[in-house]
Amino acid sequence: MLQEIGFGAIRIGDAVDTFGDAGGEKNARQFEVYGYPFLAQKPG
Amino acid sequence: MTVQTPVDPAALRDEVKSKYREVATNPHGSYHFHTGRRLARRLGYDDAVVDAMPDGAVESFAGVANPFALRALQRAEKVVDAGSGAGFDCFVAAQQVGPEGRVAGVDMLPEMLDRSRTAAAQMGLRHVEFREGLIEDMPIEDGWADVVVSNGVINLCADKRRAFEEIWRVLRPGGWLQFADIANGKPVPEAAVANIDLWTA
Repeated sequence: MLQEIGFGAIRIGDAVDTFGDAGGEKNARQFEVYGYPFLAQKPG
Repeated sequence: MTVQTPVDPAALRDEVKSKYREVATNPHGSYHFHTGRRLARRLGYDDAVVDAMPDGAVESFAGVANPFALRALQRAEKVVDAGSGAGFDCFVAAQQVGPEGRVAGVDMLPEMLDRSRTAAAQMGLRHVEFREGLIEDMPIEDGWADVVVSNGVINLCADKRRAFEEIWRVLRPGGWLQFADIANGKPVPEAAVANIDLWTA
């Protein structure tokens, strides 16, 4: 979707266990949900 | 143009408002996600930066990763935080861009805006402001931002394309989008995607 809109230089960082030990951990584990940092640039 | 979304955007927005109003007014409540300093540490934020903030600036933080992990902000940059919540990422951004930069947080919840404005005043941050608005329709002029940050918000938008197009509008050419969000490694059944209760559970 980012590419379709026109963004470039797209990067995705390492996963982080956002929900580990939290109340919603069961749902997060079931669907392998993790947090990620994303980076993209609007071309100049 | 009419865009088909998996759930009713207005109904989802009401659900999100209800959940995060609770986080704003009761930051130490029991939630399905972590909050506050413990979460910031888990997500890899700089301890020294977080430790320097008053409790009011941190305790309602409910992000999902660190939007500054892949690129640190540069001095004097103008930054928009799309869905700024209680302002935590705005305060991190304010420290990185310095007083010659500008930071504008946009959030739809008055309770979060109250929190963030109070904390900004407490910290004496004059280059940070907060505006009421939706991520899909931000009160920011075209091309104003060098950087748009966002944390755990786009996944809560029914129409993600609309959100990204709005971010594109407020970014200057050459500007950066650095956001944190969740992604699932296994497909979620259609019935679950259509269940609004599960979007915030």
